Amino acid sequence: MTAYILTRLRQSCITLVLVSMVVFAGIRALPGDPALALAGEERSPEALAAVRESYGLDDNIVIQYGRFIGHAITGDLGTSSRTGLPVADAITAALPITLELAALSLLLAVTVGIGAGIVAAVRRGKPEEWLANALALLGLSIPTFWLGIVLVLGFAIALPVFSASGYVPFGTDPLDNLRRMVLPAIVLGSGLAAVVMRQTRAAMLDSLSADYVRTARAKGLSRREVIGGHALRNSLVTVVTVLGLQLGHLISGAVVTEQIFVLPGFGKLTIDAVFTRDYATLQGVVLCTSAAYILINLLVDVAYSVIDPRIRLGGAR
Amino acid sequence: MRRKAVALAAVALVMSLTAGCGSLQSSATEVGGERMTDDRPVRDGGTLTVALNADPDKLDPTLAQTLVGRTVFAGMCEKLYDIDEHGTVIPQLATALPKTSKDGRTVTFGLRKGLKFSDGTKLDAEAAVTSLLRHRDLAGSARATELAPLAGAKATGPYTVELTLKQAYVPLTAVLADRSGMVMSPTALKKYGKNFTNHPSCVGPFKYVERVGGDRIVLAKDPNYYAADQVHLDKVIYKPIPDGNVRLANLRSGDIQVGDQMTPVDVRSALTEPGLQLFNSPSLGYQGIGLNVGNVKGLGQKPGRIDTPLAREPKVREAFELAIDRDLINKVVFQGMFEPACGPVSPESAIAPGVKASVCPERDVAKAKRLLKEAGVKTPVRIELKVSTTPESSRLGQVVQAMTKEAGFAVTLRPTEYATMLEETDSGKYDAFTSGWSGRLDPDGNIASFLQTRGAMNAYGLSDPTIDRLVERGRTEADPDERAKIYAELTHRAQERRGLIYLYRQKNYIVTGKDVAGVRVYGDGLVRVTTAGYAR
Repeated sequence: MTAYILTRLRQSCITLVLVSMVVFAGIRALPGDPALALAGEERSPEALAAVRESYGLDDNIVIQYGRFIGHAITGDLGTSSRTGLPVADAITAALPITLELAALSLLLAVTVGIGAGIVAAVRRGKPEEWLANALALLGLSIPTFWLGIVLVLGFAIALPVFSASGYVPFGTDPLDNLRRMVLPAIVLGSGLAAVVMRQTRAAMLDSLSADYVRTARAKGLSRREVIGGHALRNSLVTVVTVLGLQLGHLISGAVVTEQIFVLPGFGKLTIDAVFTRDYATLQGVVLCTSAAYILINLLVDVAYSVIDPRIRLGGAR
Repeated sequence: MRRKAVALAAVALVMSLTAGCGSLQSSATEVGGERMTDDRPVRDGGTLTVALNADPDKLDPTLAQTLVGRTVFAGMCEKLYDIDEHGTVIPQLATALPKTSKDGRTVTFGLRKGLKFSDGTKLDAEAAVTSLLRHRDLAGSARATELAPLAGAKATGPYTVELTLKQAYVPLTAVLADRSGMVMSPTALKKYGKNFTNHPSCVGPFKYVERVGGDRIVLAKDPNYYAADQVHLDKVIYKPIPDGNVRLANLRSGDIQVGDQMTPVDVRSALTEPGLQLFNSPSLGYQGIGLNVGNVKGLGQKPGRIDTPLAREPKVREAFELAIDRDLINKVVFQGMFEPACGPVSPESAIAPGVKASVCPERDVAKAKRLLKEAGVKTPVRIELKVSTTPESSRLGQVVQAMTKEAGFAVTLRPTEYATMLEETDSGKYDAFTSGWSGRLDPDGNIASFLQTRGAMNAYGLSDPTIDRLVERGRTEADPDERAKIYAELTHRAQERRGLIYLYRQKNYIVTGKDVAGVRVYGDGLVRVTTAGYAR
């Protein structure tokens, strides 16, 4: 087992290094000189030259990469060329916000999506199913930006229940935190809720017509036990798989949501860095995201191998 | 009885709606109207959140390069000189306007006594000299070009500074009314060096507290400030909110109290909101269409010959300009809320405030067609126009496209993101692009870098000995009347050469909650919060 984990760990490190190379080269392939983006309208040749020199932009790309990776190993992701703030600080500040947003959206998607899916399946052919289907269609088709602005107009301006923007850490003021996070979570979670609803409905319909459900009914179990204990439990396997696949979309969807609600999360950090050609921040952000993906994959693989020893590398030998 | 109640309700509704609109329209939103402050008495205390349209760059006056950064500095870093509501330069940290020697090469000014930086250090002549030399010499300084004529600076007394110049340099006072005139605490400079940006310390109504990149910059009332008794707010928070819709939504919800640089469309929406009020001031800058007339090798290189009808034939450029109706652009694209412009010098400029520096030519399609015929070019003349990715910029492009089509041009639009546009236009890879400048107090700051042959921002590849000579004369001529004549001549010459077709001048529109008073908005477009607060 330890050997397996070590091998996977080694592979992950190699993947991370390869990813960092691709990211590094990719960012530099973007059109638009970072020195120009930084200098903006006041671009004197002297200022541009000094900016290039101070961030080592004139050096060969291999030297630049070596310097970047050398610092990154020690945890130093450099300083933002735009603000002069350390990239690591920016990432540490932004990450919890996006994670909280994603978690809340997931919670919303799961409760609303699974609930509506069950109702739609159980009340098949009734107005409830029609309503749930219509909501799911809306959730999938409404553009995020539009939904965000409408919710702000409705629930932050006309009926000022929630806040239109900004972030307050949960630890500082839990109530204020939720006031600011509910609307973004609805916006981000609505699409996922629709997907979950559809999956749940389809899986539940399958289960409800299965033999074991008929048997359960014949045995005289209550409706609640049949639906909750038998049909739903079996349907959830599919739903959970879909949820896992959709998690990535949740993080990428946060980019737009964070712009609308002015949440200083990972998405906003990335977008700002792209537009200002802030290489250091962009590299840091992409590297951290890649590391997170690789880590999650590693954990999943390890978990699988614990569940099913046949998956273990070299297990066949 | 019931009918009467309905009628009353209808009247009440109409009155409340018109009251909502009227409150804004009365003073500020009529074209040509200006409203720079709200003088109601202000109570002490409270936090003001100001939404900026971008995240400022470094909070170091020497390295800073963005307009939004200047707005943040207005809250924490005072300058040797400032401007007032009339666009006139007035002393701020200095005691009076500088004294210049006869040959224009020695400039002296005195500093106010008893001033302290936010870190408690005393402000004296040595501190001012240290800052000025740092602005000129620090690697990467964005002030180096405008302070290049500065040969030396020394303290001739505890509170007097003497500057020696390589040549007479009239724009100096205006330069010292911007970031070059900001004096930084020498203690903080010594302690933090280049990292001053994360610990800025100046003389100002508010001092730096913290910055969370992309989210907020927090300033708090500075007890060391010499006029602390006139400062009412406890805190000012600057928040970058790039999207105009989102900025407006936040103003409506009360999450922010001041929205900086609002677009005409958003201002029109704000007009319907009874809880908001509008401030505006004319801008010192300009917007237009840059034409590539000789940029073959890139910025700063010798202009060359480009073989397109637009670059080759002055008559084609004239036809292009004559096909454009500036008033209509203002009406259609900017809701009539900006001003048509035809030259680099704003009527608000320090040289001749209120004087119109140029008269716009009327649209004349027949003449434009005639000119194209005389030039002997094949019509339609194909031009690719780069526009930035904002909705307003693409609307501007579409209107120009439609107007010039009538005269015989075929304009294709290429929306290009900002950093890419800068790179492509600076290197000369374009026909035409939407070009603009936020403006400087002294006309030299709006002309020299753009129109001089070796100008640092001459992306048009313009090379004209007359312009070059006039720019030099404008810099050294001390007599204001004579200077005004020089800049009138320069404007005329720039119009003839048409490297840049000036189209309109933006206005600074700032929307605030109605309970906010004392905010000041002048021609430089900065939101001044020193005297701001919540109305009593």
